[in-house]
Amino acid sequence: MKILTRHFDNPKLHELETYRALGGYQGLAKARGMAPQAVQEEVKKSNLRGLGGAGFPVGMKWSTVPPPEKAPERFVVANFDESEPGCFKDRVLGTRAPHQILEGLLIACHAVSARWGFVFIRGEYADQYDILKKAVAEAEAAGLCGDVKVRLMRGAGAYICGLDTALLETMEGKKAWPRQPPPFPTVVGLMGKPTVVNNVETLSMLPHILVNGGQWFADIGAKGDPARRIHPSGGTAVYSVSGDVERPGIYEFAMGTPLRQIIEAAGGVRGGRALKAVIPGGTSTPPLAASEIDVPMDFDSLRGVGSFLGAGGIVVLDETRDMVEVSHNIERFLAHESCGQCTPCREGSEWTTRILERVLEGGGVEPDLANLRRVGENIAGKVICALGDTVGMVVRGYMKKFPEDFAKRLPAKPAEAAR
Amino acid sequence: MSHSLSAEQKAELEAWRTYYPYPIMGLLEALRCVQGWFRCVPPEVEPHLAELFSTSVAHVHEVATFFPFLTRKPAGRHRVGICRGLSCAMAGSKDISRCLEKSLGAREGETSPDGRFSWEEMECLGACDHAPALLVDERLKGKATEEAVAKLAENLK
Repeated sequence: MKILTRHFDNPKLHELETYRALGGYQGLAKARGMAPQAVQEEVKKSNLRGLGGAGFPVGMKWSTVPPPEKAPERFVVANFDESEPGCFKDRVLGTRAPHQILEGLLIACHAVSARWGFVFIRGEYADQYDILKKAVAEAEAAGLCGDVKVRLMRGAGAYICGLDTALLETMEGKKAWPRQPPPFPTVVGLMGKPTVVNNVETLSMLPHILVNGGQWFADIGAKGDPARRIHPSGGTAVYSVSGDVERPGIYEFAMGTPLRQIIEAAGGVRGGRALKAVIPGGTSTPPLAASEIDVPMDFDSLRGVGSFLGAGGIVVLDETRDMVEVSHNIERFLAHESCGQCTPCREGSEWTTRILERVLEGGGVEPDLANLRRVGENIAGKVICALGDTVGMVVRGYMKKFPEDFAKRLPAKPAEAAR
Repeated sequence: MSHSLSAEQKAELEAWRTYYPYPIMGLLEALRCVQGWFRCVPPEVEPHLAELFSTSVAHVHEVATFFPFLTRKPAGRHRVGICRGLSCAMAGSKDISRCLEKSLGAREGETSPDGRFSWEEMECLGACDHAPALLVDERLKGKATEEAVAKLAENLK
């Protein structure tokens, strides 16, 4: 089932004329004919959840914005700061269908009565910035933006900006240090005003929900199983598939599609090798073993197997991959991107990386595994944002599922008497 | 090199100051402009930015030193990045790093003696489908091959 990528075989989809000919901006027209509250209700019905990684129900997020009479100035920000390793779907969506993002942004602005819509895009997406800028100009010239002013802003190379509160700090001309909620951005956001931050893929879904109805979207997605605390996830998700796979690229599937099916669509493991592990949602999500890939890809099913859907960055790892190397790569990334605000994360991510480095270089000592666990546990819950929690969770995930990769690089446990 | 701002440059910074609903929101884009002009954010420019955005020099300095794109020492006229994220590392980004050092005549994180190039190993560039991903002046250039990297120096004037 394709929603966002349905017309991706059309090479001119990025142009306004083509986008409109294919039904573009009908969702916006429909939304503008409805009361904001009614748009929110339709989106609630759709079970659309935040596709930037958090999976928070979108309609519910919007409904926490205070009414206009309490706070007349409010903002919507499209988060196009994609930087999670393994994720590139936003880049493709922005390259091929910038108007889909823009239409979604304008619908969200209507839904929360905002007069300013922003797109925050990572600086390294200069081509996508140009494409989007052109799309905004086209939409403005065609009078589609109405009374909403759309503004773009580029980042300057920091991963942490992808987190909503760090993104808002950055937009306020500050360094990207996450805020400690509450208050949540929908109440106190950009410049202290209520602000909705939605990922660009999430926003791209809105035109289709408006045109076809929330129920249609909900029916496409995963129904959930309340008894197992699996909540419904509406519609589809666009997965970025990379690593040891025959055809890396983006693949759109209905929520709840088994991971195995997505990997098969990408041609399976490259070179006919055996599968060792799959990272389901970007490298901040713990790995799944080859035996676990029948899991349905939706937010809560993945939680059930100890991982996360994240932003759908699927990285396939074949039998030749060493999980100490893999976890070291990821921990080094987290240490590099730790913003430095919370000491446990700043120091702990560095320690974790250094311990893994030592193990990799053959200098590992027996207590290293216990220390890796301990360092991670001393970060989790003691820091403001999820980056710190990830530090321990990721390495623990690899140690738990692939203990032999770690064991073979470490000296055998000394005999009890020698301690 | 002189680090004073021309009238045009000042006008461009002023345009960012008024582009967003609150002036301070233009600071990061303004810093990006400065980086583009001087290939770094020179300390001499910080007071001008502080005055323009009605903030302190310390604040401007804090932001300018937080983001990796903004540098203290001049970057090359062309900035090249090779992604070292997981998918790109698995696709051999380290080999490309060695080629870049040779081809551009500079070590990682440094600028070539003629000032033409600097290159860095970068975190995930969002192009894992073209691993290992190459970035030139903030534009993704697809899969980095040893052949393409060897020609970078002549292709970028």
